[in-house]
Amino acid sequence: MKKPMNNRINRLQHIARAICTILVFQVFGLAAQSIWEGGDPINGQSLFNANCAACHKITNEILVGPGLAGIQDRWPSGDEMLVQWIQSPEEAAESGDKYIKSIVERYVGTYGWMTGQAVSEADISDILAYVTSPPVDGGGDTASSDNCPTIDYNAPEESDSSNAMWFLILLILFTVIALSAAGVKRSLTDVIAEKAGEDLLPDTGYLARFGGWAWNNLVMVTLIGIFFVLYGVVVGYSALMDIGTYSNYSPEQPIAFNHSIHVCENEIDCKYCHSSAYDSKHAGIPSANVCMNCHKAIKKGKRTGTEEIEKIYAAIGFDSSTGTYLDGDGNNGKALPQDSYNGEPIKWNKVHNLPDHVFFSHQQHVNVGGLQCQNCHGDVSTYSVGRIAPVEEINTLIDTYPGIIQLSKPALTMGWCIECHNKAEIDLASSGYYEEMHDRLMNSERGNEELRRYLEDEKITVRELGGWECSKCHY
Amino acid sequence: MIHKITLYTATLIIAAAMMTSCTTDPNSPGVEYMPDMYRSPAVEAYVDYGEDPYYVTEEVAAEQRRTMSARKPVAGSIAFKGDDKAFGLPYAYANTPEGYELAGEELKSPLITTASNIEAGAANFELMCTHCHGLEGKGDGAISRNGHIMGIPDFSIKLKDLPEGKMYHTLIYGKGLMGSHASQISQKGLWQIIQYVQVLQNGGQMPTFDSNGVALVTETENNN
Repeated sequence: MKKPMNNRINRLQHIARAICTILVFQVFGLAAQSIWEGGDPINGQSLFNANCAACHKITNEILVGPGLAGIQDRWPSGDEMLVQWIQSPEEAAESGDKYIKSIVERYVGTYGWMTGQAVSEADISDILAYVTSPPVDGGGDTASSDNCPTIDYNAPEESDSSNAMWFLILLILFTVIALSAAGVKRSLTDVIAEKAGEDLLPDTGYLARFGGWAWNNLVMVTLIGIFFVLYGVVVGYSALMDIGTYSNYSPEQPIAFNHSIHVCENEIDCKYCHSSAYDSKHAGIPSANVCMNCHKAIKKGKRTGTEEIEKIYAAIGFDSSTGTYLDGDGNNGKALPQDSYNGEPIKWNKVHNLPDHVFFSHQQHVNVGGLQCQNCHGDVSTYSVGRIAPVEEINTLIDTYPGIIQLSKPALTMGWCIECHNKAEIDLASSGYYEEMHDRLMNSERGNEELRRYLEDEKITVRELGGWECSKCHY
Repeated sequence: MIHKITLYTATLIIAAAMMTSCTTDPNSPGVEYMPDMYRSPAVEAYVDYGEDPYYVTEEVAAEQRRTMSARKPVAGSIAFKGDDKAFGLPYAYANTPEGYELAGEELKSPLITTASNIEAGAANFELMCTHCHGLEGKGDGAISRNGHIMGIPDFSIKLKDLPEGKMYHTLIYGKGLMGSHASQISQKGLWQIIQYVQVLQNGGQMPTFDSNGVALVTETENNN
């Protein structure tokens, strides 16, 4: 008897539950019809970063398009219109909506049409949930600067100079103590002599007494003398050898540019900024428009805030509040840097100075020779300002950059150049540059003989192809 | 005995002081041998051509050093990019939304798709594009991963059908957050990069080449 009864109750419960579920679904379904409510901000964040973040910020800041903060109060034209505007902006504009027309007039002329995004209504609801109430922690900044330590070679070496000062103070102290001790000793000797009835010490000056002492201790005086002469020779020699070597020169620059942040943290290749190294004599200092390729979006540095980046904006005439460029007449609203804008150029301090009587081409070394930048400039990604790396330091990089040629002469001197030309091997077949030379060496009797001579040490060096000719570099 | 010890100590201290006093100033390039041969009056890019003040007085030298050696090209000048006429012409489309659409319809690459062009493009792409677009063009370069510039579209998804003319237009003028790269890469280099980007659009799949390394025209390229 009990069982059927139970069954009936169960059935009733099922029906009741079903009705409840339908009701609940209905209520939520009605709520979901407004795109402003019920979205998932977490999913919205990832959708926003994937689809919108290239042009919009969730703050007031104008990036390419307007900042989206406060969009829920601004948007007057209804949900459907917003969805259409996001999915296919040009069609939405054709509807003649007034607000959309004003946006088109303000932004499309400068930056072009917003790209229609393949996002569903539910996606848009999620995105709006993220935009209107973003998570507090923000997240986002996951840059791992710990992996990229920066050595600031331009920082004043305080410890060393204060050390020298301490030595000077100690030196003076010791001299005073030594002199007074000598004086006390002398008075004591005098007192003893007086008591014993002997003659007093002759009353002579310090110098005369030192002379007398030196005469009595000739061996020690000679040794000390030799030490000072040798010391002078060594110091003098190394000072003379330092003339024109520039090692460790790392001058302060007008903008506190940090190579480590750019190269190590953000993995920008050297040749992105020094782009002419590949096909020009010069490696090139990037003009401000190259900086703007990233700094149009990155307006605040992690270490120096807006201060240093504002200097680029001042030089090129960029208005960071509107995200547009000024022209010579002070008009704002251009999408590209304007030639007519007359800003104060950034005057970088030159680090590597090529003497006027030397010819050097980056193209030949980077493009034809296939040298890595680190071979001559050291691991710039570890330090902030541009710097002339000492040759000993470059030699230690061989583990990270296997192509590095070990040299001994000071970097960027002629001795260093010709030492490398004598060591560096050439692969004749590697680049088109040596094609003709390759042909001549391979396909004529004289060439073959020459080649045999080159290959006696089993390699062809730059020197053997004329890398030690005076007129290669001096003309 | 005492004065001997003090003398030794004093000597040691003097020697140590002399050795530590040789610190280098990072802002000083050091002594130059014959500066008049290092710094000449010749006007050349990146040469600060102040003559030696010894010969021309400090005033003149200072004025010379202030003169800018890196200058903007004269308005209307055309860069000479070798004998190949296809790469020597100024860009014909305006930097407007209409110009962008027009370039997408009309502009075609003067380069034939070959294995060597794609290879050169890939090398250039790695140097110039990967920090934002990522090695495989998925928009996951370091700058994007670090959260500086986000929302960079994947070539193989969002930009799968982007025609080469629009790519070139974007490289010349920039689009959205991407800046102009015309000053960094030669026109030929730009077209080579575009050939590689087309490979990425195709999910990284290389086109089939004939025996000369020239790509056989596929349907997807016809669509572009």
